[in-house]
Amino acid sequence: MAGKVVAMSKKKASRGGSQRFSGNGAAAATTKWVGQPIRRKEENRLVSGKGIFVDDEKMPGMLHIRFVRSSYAHAKITRIDVSKAEKFPGVVCTLTGAEIKRQVQPFIEIGPGGAQKIADYPLAADKVVFQGEPVAAVVAETRLAAEDAAELVEVDYRPLPPVVTAEDALKDESILHPAMGTNQKTFKQAAHVVRIGRLHFHRFSSTPLECNVILATWDPRSGDIEYHCNNTFPSFASQFLAPALGVRIDQIHMKSFDIGGGFGIKITSYPYMAVCALASRKAGGRAVKWVETRIEHMQASAHGNERTFLDTRVALDKTGVILAIDSKHVDDCGAFPRYEPLGCVIWAQVLPATYRVKNVRIDMHQVVTNKCPVGPNRGYSRMQHLWFMERVIDICGQALGIPADEMRRRNYIRKNEMPYKTPNGCVYDSGDYASMLAMAKKLVGWDEWKKKQAAARKEGRWIGLGIGSTLDSGTNNFGQARIINPDAPFSGQSKVGIVKLDIYGEVVVSMGSVPQGQGHETTAAQVVADALNITPALVNVRPGFDTAHNAYTGHTGTYASQFAVTGLTAIHGAAMKLRKELSRLAAWKLQAKEQDLEFGVGGQGPEVRVKGRQKAINYWALANLVNVNNAGMPESLWDITLNCRHVFHANFQIPDVKRKYGNLTLTYAAQVHAAVVEVDRETFQPKILTYACVDDCGKAVNPLIVEGQVHGAAAHGIGAALLEDCAYDADGNLLTATFSDYTPITAMNIPDLMYGHMESPSPFTLNGAKGMGEGGAAPVHTICAALQDALYPSGVIIDDSHNTGDSLFRAVQKAESGGYAGMVRVEHRRASR
Amino acid sequence: MYAAPFSYHRAASLQEAVKLLQELGEEARVIAGGQSLIPLMKMRMARPAALIDINFISGLSDIQTSKGELRIGATVRHADLENSSAGTTIPIVHDCAAGIADVQVRNQGTIGGSLAEADPSGDWGTALLALESSVICAGPDGQRTVPLEDFIKDAYTTVLAHNEVVTAIQVKIPPKHSGGAHLAFKRSAPVYPTASASVQLTMEDHHMCKDARIVLGCVGLTAIRAKEAEKALQGKALEEKNVRAAADAARAAAEPQSDMRGSADYKRLLVGTLVKRAIGIAARRARGESVPAGHEYAGR
Ligand SMILES: Cc1cc2nc3c(=O)[nH]c(=O)nc-3n(C[C@H](O)[C@H](O)[C@H](O)COP(=O)(O)OP(=O)(O)OC[C@H]3O[C@@H](n4cnc5c(N)ncnc54)[C@H](O)[C@@H]3O)c2cc1C
Repeated sequence: MAGKVVAMSKKKASRGGSQRFSGNGAAAATTKWVGQPIRRKEENRLVSGKGIFVDDEKMPGMLHIRFVRSSYAHAKITRIDVSKAEKFPGVVCTLTGAEIKRQVQPFIEIGPGGAQKIADYPLAADKVVFQGEPVAAVVAETRLAAEDAAELVEVDYRPLPPVVTAEDALKDESILHPAMGTNQKTFKQAAHVVRIGRLHFHRFSSTPLECNVILATWDPRSGDIEYHCNNTFPSFASQFLAPALGVRIDQIHMKSFDIGGGFGIKITSYPYMAVCALASRKAGGRAVKWVETRIEHMQASAHGNERTFLDTRVALDKTGVILAIDSKHVDDCGAFPRYEPLGCVIWAQVLPATYRVKNVRIDMHQVVTNKCPVGPNRGYSRMQHLWFMERVIDICGQALGIPADEMRRRNYIRKNEMPYKTPNGCVYDSGDYASMLAMAKKLVGWDEWKKKQAAARKEGRWIGLGIGSTLDSGTNNFGQARIINPDAPFSGQSKVGIVKLDIYGEVVVSMGSVPQGQGHETTAAQVVADALNITPALVNVRPGFDTAHNAYTGHTGTYASQFAVTGLTAIHGAAMKLRKELSRLAAWKLQAKEQDLEFGVGGQGPEVRVKGRQKAINYWALANLVNVNNAGMPESLWDITLNCRHVFHANFQIPDVKRKYGNLTLTYAAQVHAAVVEVDRETFQPKILTYACVDDCGKAVNPLIVEGQVHGAAAHGIGAALLEDCAYDADGNLLTATFSDYTPITAMNIPDLMYGHMESPSPFTLNGAKGMGEGGAAPVHTICAALQDALYPSGVIIDDSHNTGDSLFRAVQKAESGGYAGMVRVEHRRASR
Repeated sequence: MYAAPFSYHRAASLQEAVKLLQELGEEARVIAGGQSLIPLMKMRMARPAALIDINFISGLSDIQTSKGELRIGATVRHADLENSSAGTTIPIVHDCAAGIADVQVRNQGTIGGSLAEADPSGDWGTALLALESSVICAGPDGQRTVPLEDFIKDAYTTVLAHNEVVTAIQVKIPPKHSGGAHLAFKRSAPVYPTASASVQLTMEDHHMCKDARIVLGCVGLTAIRAKEAEKALQGKALEEKNVRAAADAARAAAEPQSDMRGSADYKRLLVGTLVKRAIGIAARRARGESVPAGHEYAGR
């Protein structure tokens, strides 16, 4: 994929803010490695077949589990008979919903009030609420026997009427979360008021190469449960599993090694983890493995949130500056809220998007429907809102005759306003959206395309230029959960890093993260190499997550674009503690003052030496002193362990629950994409003619990894915009349960991507880095914008985030028959401003 | 995802394959590339009791040209055709072979299996119908040659008897001044097209069309020969009016159904456009130009 690369460094990003980066140790001694585009350490292992995935693990006596699933979206279970399955050769036991309902507590519900009464059990007991919901499980000696026997489980259902749209669900009212303030006055002052009808952000998912995999053993001797799995938020899963299964949290031991992608969607695998543990217990403590199939994954793991935007009113002044937005949003979370109540507030991290609008009132609702439960999905909850805001910008721009780039320039938050406080109390750390836009425009050749567009229009061609500005807010404050449920017992954000010298002086890092391809081993090694002035090759980073490493808090996992901030700061803090210990030891052994010492690599490996003299001690000798050769060490050094653990804390407060006000997240990486798209007049197929991504994630710890993440997120977003859709029919049948129907994006669909990079260092983080990788679904915004631009003269309003040749064909027909009349209404007033 | 239990038999010769089919009965199936059969088996939508593997029969995967005919063995892979000189001689063959699914499927899937499967969206069933093709089948009573238009009867249904095996496909090499194109629109690589069209034109001179074959794929239970569309071109000048008439006739001939690939109305629209464009490319190729064409993908 060839592409142009532009880089532009913004040395000083912003004027001082109220909330500066607050200490986790001084910055590293050098920055030789951080910022370098070094190749990933994990690459060789992964491309030479040495990755360790859960399905590679085999245990003595290991059993296999197969789920029996509902073919109905909504039905009462009237009978379930496992007797034939139990008699099948090789079957060890079965589990039914009714049986385990007696053994477990329903999962914790995060939502308030009525939502607390939702009884979410790992297997459906009386009633199924989405197609693919597990109702029973068969455990057998082989996977084949489990599959054969699962076919013999007899289940009778009495179908119930399904609810498959958010609007239908709303009829009987669900969770409600009105946001802030009133806008009456601003609307009165407006020069223009634009009313926009229903907009809809579709349901799509992530399609990690590796589906969910769980290997569980519930040891009857210790009562401990051991999981090898690819859940990407193990601390969250443990907190759900321990009360449900009635064990202490320290009895849950979780491990992951390599993970074949996640994008958030694996966070909600805990119901299956519960069943696997119960199956192991019933089978006498034998290990039980579950390897999710693709159809199971598509039907019943998790989808991304679907959101409908209703009754939008936008007040603008006479120059097109948005004064206020008022809208009602309905989020469809599928059959169970699970992680979802968080999604109901996470969008508020980006309430005004990249814009200066001061008055925003969103009446937020979340409803349950008879569809697969949703879960975090790359760009989680923010992308839906950002898409809405971008649609508002473009539709208002079109309605008022202001070009898309100009509309953004007038409304963007300015660089000199950073750090910027949003109307709901969030603080954007840094960024320069206008410069990003200028770069993106330059990359695609915006001005030339404008001319070509005008010429092409004369020939009757539909060419559109689009911009998508988006934010990837990272390092979330869990305190935002309180806005949903004031009793939710969590807040803040933390991560752990451990850096130690092993007995022979090897530098070993345990990460409190669960990487799935983000290159954590590499960036962790870069940070430690700088802290100790050694090379990344000398830093051994343990892949994966393991509770036994003790590198976790309750926030530990890989989600919410944060490792570059939270994980690396924790590791840096641990490395600096180790550095201090090494320095104290070396000062004693070399009989020197600490300030006369320096760190580096000598003839005998990493060492601490006395500046300007031939005296040095290497790590082997230092580790030896502490671990196996410590007689004669002065008591003042006995606290040295060379095993340093550091907890990163983000400087967060609990939000003001009543006003729904407070800082919900720490950093704001930004993406501005620009594209030119042509809609073929004869096939209605949208074709991307040129595409550019400009990314600013503050200081890039490893520019190569950053660019890789940008490409991945762009591909994911283009797939979402043009191909991928979790479509249900009116009976709640998922129509896209296979890849042939869901059509995840392939290389054949991806245009050449041009890439531009800017750095606006975050004032709130250790080395100015911001979390990134989610990408904010920028291509969905961008492609919709370009399509809108292409088809606006034909009277089409792009009101859905998913667009295909077929849907555009129907949209143009709809426009021809006046179907968009009233969808956008503009009221021009004589305004006081 | 595991298939239901089955027995596996490797046939060393055609005779043995036919004999095994007879002995193992109705529940036995031939397996070639497995690219249609195995996905169905692993989802347990197909449950053959026995599989008879024809991949090890010698001579079944040859591509030969003789006496103006191209003979393609049943187990020739899509990728073999993509890379063979047959694709240069008959561009439609290359257009078709190079766009089927993705590299893995093309390396494995066979032309014989594709025709025997008779998927309404299968590319070969459409492309080969634009040429003069016939299917050679072997059974207990020896061989028979069935014209392709008679071979596929309905969706997923051919004239093959249970104990018959496709051994080869014969394609008449088009005359000089003939050119063809197979165009298909697909959403992403590993899926069947939403609509496809194959056109083979034989030209009288630079402008006059002597003969035309126009075939529509994915818009009916089988590939559809759009004879009215052909008539719109036969013996006529290749000018815009006639080409448009052919495209309109093609749209009228289509019998599409709505599914995840597209609505019926949209497929009807699309197939006409593909016909129009295929005519343009076929004509240029008939005039000796080398024009790249084939499958198009969403977004690009
Ligand atoms: C992801 C994916 C995408 C695809 N996309 C496309 C596409 O875009 N276009 C397209 O045309 N195809 C597509 N295919 C299908 C592909 O072309 C298959 O190769 C083809 O349909 C079947 O050929 P096969 O050799 O794999 O047959 P098999 O799967 O082995 O067999 C298919 C059927 O034919 C029978 N059979 C096979 N060979 C013979 C024979 N010699 N005699 C008698 N019966 C026989 C079998 O018994 C079986 O019933 C796709 C397949 C996949 C998996």
